[in-house]
Amino acid sequence: MSPNKTSQPSLWKSLVELPRNVWGSIFRNPLPSNDLERSATSFTNFFLHIHPVKVHKHSLRPWYTLGLGLISFFLFVILVVTGILLMFYYVPSTTQAYDRMLDLRGTVAFGMFLRNMHRWSAHGMVAVVFMHMCRVFFTGSYKKPREFNWVLGVILFLLTLFMSFTGYLLPWDQLAFWAITVGTAIAGYAPVIGKDIQFLLMGGTSVGQEALLRFYVLHVAVLPAILTLFIAFHFWRIRKDGGLSRPAEADAIPTLEFPEASTNLEPRRTYGVQGLVRGPLHAAGKVPDNTVFSWPNLFRAELFVFVVTVSAILILALLFNAPLEEPVNVMHPPNPAKAPWYFLGLQEMVSYSAFWGGIGVPGLFVFLLFITPYIDRGTEGVGRWFARERLLANTIFLTFVIVNIVFVIIGTFFRGPNWTFVTPW
Amino acid sequence: MAVNLKRISGGNLSENGRYRRRMLGWLTGVGLVGSGVLSAISNFVFIKPRTTYGQPQRFSIGKPEDFPPGTRMALGAQRIVVIREGNRLAAISTTCTHLGCIVGLDETGFACPCHGSRFDQDGNVTGGPAPKPLPWYKVSLTPNGEIEVDKDTVIQPGSYLSL
Repeated sequence: MSPNKTSQPSLWKSLVELPRNVWGSIFRNPLPSNDLERSATSFTNFFLHIHPVKVHKHSLRPWYTLGLGLISFFLFVILVVTGILLMFYYVPSTTQAYDRMLDLRGTVAFGMFLRNMHRWSAHGMVAVVFMHMCRVFFTGSYKKPREFNWVLGVILFLLTLFMSFTGYLLPWDQLAFWAITVGTAIAGYAPVIGKDIQFLLMGGTSVGQEALLRFYVLHVAVLPAILTLFIAFHFWRIRKDGGLSRPAEADAIPTLEFPEASTNLEPRRTYGVQGLVRGPLHAAGKVPDNTVFSWPNLFRAELFVFVVTVSAILILALLFNAPLEEPVNVMHPPNPAKAPWYFLGLQEMVSYSAFWGGIGVPGLFVFLLFITPYIDRGTEGVGRWFARERLLANTIFLTFVIVNIVFVIIGTFFRGPNWTFVTPW
Repeated sequence: MAVNLKRISGGNLSENGRYRRRMLGWLTGVGLVGSGVLSAISNFVFIKPRTTYGQPQRFSIGKPEDFPPGTRMALGAQRIVVIREGNRLAAISTTCTHLGCIVGLDETGFACPCHGSRFDQDGNVTGGPAPKPLPWYKVSLTPNGEIEVDKDTVIQPGSYLSL
């Protein structure tokens, strides 16, 4: 065949090769069989390319991360999918919302099941995000250079709480109405702008149709958009901060074998624009390689966490129905009027003082969480659970966690009608 | 291709030129940030309603005969309790001053189911987290003989309308 004559494949040949050509145009890489293809799989696939090509062995230890961050993310994915499906039937109207809940239960195919999945995923997300925060603290993972990602994490935790708060108002049952009443009243105690925030949230001077519509817009549009943005930011920072935290020993440079490497980690070459990334890249090739390819090691682990998370939610949704209280009665709050479990600690605190319990103490807690990585600057004990060098910091945080759990338990089990102290036995 | 990391901004400009460039940079920054802040504020102006669709704050509750002496009647939708002792009549709010739940009537006064605030018969705080007593609202007789409550006007506790 002469070089200036291109071969025209016959139509028949194109048809025969159609499936393979379509497949090959989507997936540029075959299932990998060598290291080059393993790395190519990670960075040529849109959904995989947020992962590094190689991942540190320490990051794959199940008992180090417990997969909590991933579980939070997968719960969020479940919440988005089930939430969008529920939107097909929900109407944010004070006269229709509750009836739509009953329709989900009675006439919509899988309606009850989807609502159960949505509710239990939401509860799970609040719990798992909190546990993820505990994991990051107790392993000292908020230390330099991960300070700002901890701040992003605190923001994500607050957004998760606000998501769940705006969500449980939507059924417009008794819990919804009185929670919105109390929640917006707490906002009203904030100094200076409290009353304005309360008015903006309620869209008027009392809780009604305007408030329901506002919380609906926040729940299905504003907050998910902000949450998605911050999740992306959070993930991006994991990569830019050098992957998951790990103890210094995990990257120890064996000084005997490479005496020069330990003293001179200066970059020895000029970098192109894409190479201008701060971090451990300078040391490439000079430290022992403790990394493994993301395909299949990381992806297998992520798939495992995904399957476990989805299975757990499916089982919960099959076994337990999401609560739905009586329709709204604006004249009679239920007695006792209790928020969902994760807000009962807050409710217990506001039962002492609205300002201190609802604004002052929670505000102080959040402020302390935000500045923690800028106050606790020590570099010891990073990457290990409950490192002895971090005894003080861990004790303070553990106290904070226990105080919150105790308040939740008191609010859940020890409060009866008129919020009087009762014993559950 | 290596990257030159030295600052090259305005390297070949005169002193005046550099000053002008810095000035323009500042003005651009102030303009952009200012526009951003302004549009953020205008979003809040937009979502702050100018009219609200809540219940009227001034309303009629009926004739004095509907409330015989000795009455303590809670009007749930209006969130008040109407009290008549002899020929004296008053309206006290049933919205808890703590976090806005509706207080219920009990033997000693009022009790809130949400966070356990308690009030006496006149609305004074006797327990719980409520920071203020329940407000008393202005009550008046309209020319056609009906009782009108004005929830925008809070009066001194203990001031009754004489019938």
